[in-house]
Amino acid sequence: MSIGQPKPLRVVVLGGGTAGWMTAAGVAKLLPGLADVHLIESKDIGIVGVGEATLPHIRGFVERLGIDEAAFMKATHATYKLGIDFRDFGSIGTSYIHPFGSFGEEVNGVGFHHYWLELQRQGMAGPIGDYSLAVQAAQANRFVPPVQDTSLASSYGYAYQFDATLFGPFMREFGVTNGVRRTEGRVTGVERDAETGDVSALTLESGERIEGDLFVDCSGFRSLLLGDTLDEEWEDWTHWLPCDRAAAMPCAHTSDEIAPYTTATAMPAGWRWRIPLQHRIGNGYVFASSFISEDEACDAIAKAAEGTQLADPRVLRFRPGRRKKSWSHNVIGVGLASGFLEPLESTSIYLAQMAITYLIELFPDGPQIDPRDRDEFNRLVDMEYDRVRDFLILHYNATTRDDSEFWNHVRTMELPDSLSGKMELWRDAGRIEKYSDGLFYDASWIAVYLGQGVLPQHHDPRAALPKPQQVAGALSQLQKTIGDIVTGMPSHTEYLHRQTARMADPL
Amino acid sequence: MSNPRAPLRRIVVAGDGQLGSLAALAIKQALPFAEVIIIGTPVDNGALADRSPTALPFTNRFHDRLGLQEELLLLRAGGCHRLVLRYIGWGGHDGSGAVQHGAMPYGLSNDASLKTRFAQEWGGGSRSGTEGQSGSQFAGSVAEILAGRGQFAILPSETPTPLSDVDYALRWNPAAYRDLIIERAAAAGVRHIAGEISDTVPDGQGGLSALTIAGAGTIEADFFVDCTGPSAALLSRTAPVKRDDWQEYLPIRQLAFAQPVKPVLSLEDRVSLPQHGWLNELAGRDALQLMLALPDGVSDGQIMDMLGQPPAESISLNPGAVCEPWTGNVAALGDAAAQFEPLGFLNLDLAHRQLELLLEMLPGQVVDPRERDEYNRRAGLMAAGVRDVLGLHYAAPAAAERFGPLKQSAHLKRVLDQSSRRGRIPFSEELPLANQELSALLAALGMGSGLTPLALAEGNDAAEKSRAAFEAKAQAALSAAPPYGEWLGRFLQSNQPG
Repeated sequence: MSIGQPKPLRVVVLGGGTAGWMTAAGVAKLLPGLADVHLIESKDIGIVGVGEATLPHIRGFVERLGIDEAAFMKATHATYKLGIDFRDFGSIGTSYIHPFGSFGEEVNGVGFHHYWLELQRQGMAGPIGDYSLAVQAAQANRFVPPVQDTSLASSYGYAYQFDATLFGPFMREFGVTNGVRRTEGRVTGVERDAETGDVSALTLESGERIEGDLFVDCSGFRSLLLGDTLDEEWEDWTHWLPCDRAAAMPCAHTSDEIAPYTTATAMPAGWRWRIPLQHRIGNGYVFASSFISEDEACDAIAKAAEGTQLADPRVLRFRPGRRKKSWSHNVIGVGLASGFLEPLESTSIYLAQMAITYLIELFPDGPQIDPRDRDEFNRLVDMEYDRVRDFLILHYNATTRDDSEFWNHVRTMELPDSLSGKMELWRDAGRIEKYSDGLFYDASWIAVYLGQGVLPQHHDPRAALPKPQQVAGALSQLQKTIGDIVTGMPSHTEYLHRQTARMADPL
Repeated sequence: MSNPRAPLRRIVVAGDGQLGSLAALAIKQALPFAEVIIIGTPVDNGALADRSPTALPFTNRFHDRLGLQEELLLLRAGGCHRLVLRYIGWGGHDGSGAVQHGAMPYGLSNDASLKTRFAQEWGGGSRSGTEGQSGSQFAGSVAEILAGRGQFAILPSETPTPLSDVDYALRWNPAAYRDLIIERAAAAGVRHIAGEISDTVPDGQGGLSALTIAGAGTIEADFFVDCTGPSAALLSRTAPVKRDDWQEYLPIRQLAFAQPVKPVLSLEDRVSLPQHGWLNELAGRDALQLMLALPDGVSDGQIMDMLGQPPAESISLNPGAVCEPWTGNVAALGDAAAQFEPLGFLNLDLAHRQLELLLEMLPGQVVDPRERDEYNRRAGLMAAGVRDVLGLHYAAPAAAERFGPLKQSAHLKRVLDQSSRRGRIPFSEELPLANQELSALLAALGMGSGLTPLALAEGNDAAEKSRAAFEAKAQAALSAAPPYGEWLGRFLQSNQPG
């Protein structure tokens, strides 16, 4: 501890899943001397292990903690990810990739998509994905990391697809190496300060009593502290996001090619994921139990998975929504204990990472937590969840599907005001409501709107000023340049195999 | 199927000051097939954006986009560079009784050093600052070191140089700048009609269909841009203008301008707290310009005492912003949309950011109400951001004592609280300054920042590394930068026409 540092705060993390070990490792590594981190986990309590697919932000977390990317990929059987391929969402038979990258470039202050809309009207444009390097590389199953300059070859990002059940243990090892104390045991009692109501200690089945100044609830959906103990209210979003179950089932690869993207395919009562890892493919059917039974969903995912089934489908249950307060008293919820949004846009790990980032920024400077810091944390977490929520709802509502009760419901449901305003602006004028905080900016909204067939009534008049042939020529040139770059990339599988330090040992 | 809207055929920009001229040029460039007319109706003296001899770094990039090269401003409009704005006395006195002062640099390159324990503690006043000036709070910026030594240059290079990270603002002569823009606009095909607006014709949809110019007849247009200053000559004729009054937030009600004095070439401008109000000292190749910003109740004699002469001009100020600066088919920019004191040179910066937003949202012949709503939402955020940055100045210790308690928005309260206790600046959309710049501003105003948990945890080794890295960076910049006056002289001489 350096001069001027306060006495380390006793941080007790409850739960040894992904969120728990990410929190414990992050706090221990980044706040040495300020935090004494103690994690409690139980072998008897299963790990949900959501979040096999991630967003590019995870790279920042890995780098910030000084984790060796190759070791991390090897340990978690990770592959690279350039985006998500959405199938059958706007209508059956259609598909699009939501890339970690942009489409074309703004010209004379007018967004690329306006020119694309104009050319498309003239019958002179291909799909908008033709003008995205990330989309083209993904569709060609090719990958290299982006270059570090301002050229077209730098215009995308990447994330990982990994085995979430291996990610937790990897972070555990990293956390323990960086000073996290670990105790195995089941919590049987929670003590609270009679005066403040703060949690003061946890009692384990063994009789051990663990005191703390700050408790991080990573106990998953059970939410032992934030939910059971403090009874923090849950804001339910089932009416907007009716999926409340997932039937997960791994299968073997069916070919040597590993796709550098996740696939989300719409199903009659939800959607299913396909996440290619180094050694297997993760599959799962996210469904609404009010529209289909668990058995039917398990049958459906078993039929849909392409390769040899490696395990029976496992059903996970969840409730979309978030706590009205993710930080209450001296308890902070991270991960599922705080909120849940289905993994349609691979946001689960991002949402945990986001909460950890804000926790570190607002880490209490003593055992007395300033209510202003708590309010600030809750304001930020609410903003993040609400923005992701609206973006997810868009995927369901922007559809013409009428082939099932589920799709009829989500197509016609009443939307949050925050989303309906955005959609009206797009439908009328082809514009995106701007924000710079939180997740999913212009390119993401454009990808989903256009990918799901929501064309605006009008686009920017300036897009029609140049001669169409001139714009078509520029777009053809862009397409050619993208094609040349993609052709120069190795296949994703080839790139992975070249990086031997990143490849897990054969199973 | 999406269809393009019919493009605007004729756009009228009212007000041919430096803002209206630039708006006309920018719109003509955006819509080369449209007719753009600029009406030379007199711009109100209180139009602070129009009379501002400087802006912020955003304007440099905006100029680039419009093809207005920086060289042109140096050669034709008396342009020169400002690296820092020095605040003198806003933080009161330091422990030794010396007047606190600190310099605010621009750009994002101060981030890493500001967030380290080294920079925060060094910046907290424990070290006597720039070039031995007692009471200075060193913000850890290379710009301040360069400004203190009077060294800077724009180095032509394809690759990064030790000066590449140093951002800057430009100053110029507003009349020469305006003439340059008018010339460019005319060359681009903008028509210029002199005369006063004598009447307007409503379009029946909350906007205008035409206006009448005394001696020049009636001009019809699809869209109107109001750059006439606080009177908002066009916007005020669309509907009763609803205004967000900032009198409870901002204390200044009067500006007194001194007769400009001999030129001063400096990389630094200053704003200090004399006996009453605050005093701006703006250097320039034409003149040093002094301006007093005053609350109510300061007598003429007191103003004369502070300026050392009677003011050459005084104007009154009623701070506030129009709630819907785009109404019907009329969009108001600059002082027609928001008026406030020129503290930190935000007036023209806001006007240019409004103009950029208008270019982004430029409508078709028929205005889409949702597009207009989105413009007004973002323009409202921009205005509120300016009000908060100004309010932040008045929260500085000596300013708070002088100007008394002022209303603060929830966001400003949050920034002040989080910065002072936690060393973090909560993000807000459409703010005029980046968070790194706000951190630097708070330090310059003498508002100590708390240490972030990361800075607290990083330990002394990391702090020492940061210090060494910063000193190496500063040394490299000093080695690369010639004396500014010499460089500028050489540049002007070697680029003389003919």
